[in-house]
Amino acid sequence: MTPPLYIALRFLTHRKRALLLSLSGVVFGVAIFICTQAQTQGFSRYFIESNIGSNGALVVRSRFRPRYEPLMVAAKNSKTTTNRRLYFEGITNPNEIMRVSRQFPDVISCSPVLRGTVSARAGFENATVDLYGIDPALHARTTDIVHQLIDGSFDDFRNNTSAIIIGSRLAELLQTGVGDTVQLLAPNGEFWRFNVAAIARAGIGSIDSTRIYSHAKIAQALLQQPSGASMIIYKLRDRNRAPVLANRFETLFQHNALSWQEREESTLQLFLTLRMSVAITVSLIILLAGFGIFNVLTMSVLAKIKEIAILRSMGYRRRDISAIFLWQGALIAVAGSVVGCVLGALMTWGVSHIPIRLRGLLYTNYFLVTWDWRHYAFATLLALLAVFIASYVPARRAAELPPVVTIRGSR
Amino acid sequence: MSAEISLSCDRLERYLGEEEERVHALRGVSLEIETGSVHAVVGPSGCGKSSLLYILGLLDTPDAGRVAIESEAVSHLSDDELAQKRNKFIGFIFQFHFLMEDFTAQENVMIPMRKLGELSDAQMRDRAAELLDGVGLGDKLRRPSRHLSGGEQQRVAIARALANDPRVILADEPTGNLDTGNSERAFELLQNLVHERGKALLLATHNPAIAEACDWVHEMKDGLIIDSQLRTTRS
Repeated sequence: MTPPLYIALRFLTHRKRALLLSLSGVVFGVAIFICTQAQTQGFSRYFIESNIGSNGALVVRSRFRPRYEPLMVAAKNSKTTTNRRLYFEGITNPNEIMRVSRQFPDVISCSPVLRGTVSARAGFENATVDLYGIDPALHARTTDIVHQLIDGSFDDFRNNTSAIIIGSRLAELLQTGVGDTVQLLAPNGEFWRFNVAAIARAGIGSIDSTRIYSHAKIAQALLQQPSGASMIIYKLRDRNRAPVLANRFETLFQHNALSWQEREESTLQLFLTLRMSVAITVSLIILLAGFGIFNVLTMSVLAKIKEIAILRSMGYRRRDISAIFLWQGALIAVAGSVVGCVLGALMTWGVSHIPIRLRGLLYTNYFLVTWDWRHYAFATLLALLAVFIASYVPARRAAELPPVVTIRGSR
Repeated sequence: MSAEISLSCDRLERYLGEEEERVHALRGVSLEIETGSVHAVVGPSGCGKSSLLYILGLLDTPDAGRVAIESEAVSHLSDDELAQKRNKFIGFIFQFHFLMEDFTAQENVMIPMRKLGELSDAQMRDRAAELLDGVGLGDKLRRPSRHLSGGEQQRVAIARALANDPRVILADEPTGNLDTGNSERAFELLQNLVHERGKALLLATHNPAIAEACDWVHEMKDGLIIDSQLRTTRS
């Protein structure tokens, strides 16, 4: 143990009240930071997981053709780009696109979807629904649909072409359950009867309240669509590579490709803004703790002015004196961060057990939290930085104190 | 045969204070302190005794003149090098003992040793115990310094000044805060150390009895040494 560390430890432990005051500031700052980040990111991550689990990390949609119109030039300094594409609904040759896509190492699996809007009727209830015509085997590999089932069986759906899977909130709306019949209205005005094989809960209100899954061939016949797929959804090894891959696919397939980040941009921005806002508020708490430490250490320098002079007279250098006060800050920061991380984890665990009934944007019965080591690392880093800045000025002041002035003054 | 010079200064000048309060504290003071000798500086308050001690102890820098430790000038040394010299070659004893309150008697004595870093923790403990035993505090090693009496605290300060076995001991009225009995014991202790272990001691004092017992007495007035007298001659 270096002499400054030895002396710093003794100075700290002999001023218990000041030590507790400084420590509690760091502990609570770090703990609250971790807990709030876990909550805000918990909701955000749940939304992303559920969304990707239902809609894929990447979607290839309508085919496009570049428009060669040399007279369409954007105005100078204009931020809007001239639309240079002509779009055609549906996927042209989905099997070939999927075959080529699977060659990409980032792609785990892909699944074609024929999507359309129809009216559904069950008993006396009606609703407008988002019909997803899917290949059950491919869709099960590409999405989390099997895990999203809260009632019924996926096998019952797979083995019966007139079976459907219905969103949980839509099922509540239509007052229907597994084994009941739901009628879907075809564009020609004819009602098609389907058996409810399972009920799915994605956890996102907009999906659960509108979506019905049927077999692709049946959906194609019902919707009277010439194309077998209106989009292809993808499961990726690294979801963060979705924007890069979307660009590649657009160029390669001449179809519009959309990453999950682009698709859910507005909701993600909302979550990010909320997270940033909470992070700024909590960072201020940590800075406040830093200010408290600044005061405590400044008082400590004043209280130890005689000791500083003694140490200097015994051969301790300016940097040793400075190190004594920096060590005190560092010890507070490290101890406060460790205890703060433990308390933060306990608070996060506690918050995750608070019952909360959310049935809007997201479906949850408890507070959603994320366990992410980066929250702990960032909170610790922030605390270390705040405490270092708070300790630096008093440490410098202590080092600059001329010992002879103190000794003369003590006579 | 001329004795070895442990500490010397030549024509030291020192001003203290600013503008109207500026005082010419030292006006060309020269002094040589030989190994194994005890020097006393006497004079009225404000004559410059402490200023001289602080400059000789490398705690303060003169405005003019030079200080040398064992004939090596220190004026060119950096702040860190001066601190190292203080740690290794000089032991300070102050009137108000200046012990570190949060430490025990033994730990106080170990503080200069920790800085020097030449001994292991166990060796430092043993040496501190030995030094405290030497000043009659062998049974109070682990007592917090604030729980010691004034005389005991001053003896701890003496032991601490000797921690790194310095060549020079500088004492600023070391017995000024003690009763007669404790003063005599503390001075005897220092005197014996100097003579037996070949140290050099310079002390500032108001106590005529202590001054009389020193090898040399330097009388100061208005920042000048006006008289230096050799009191004893030792073989």
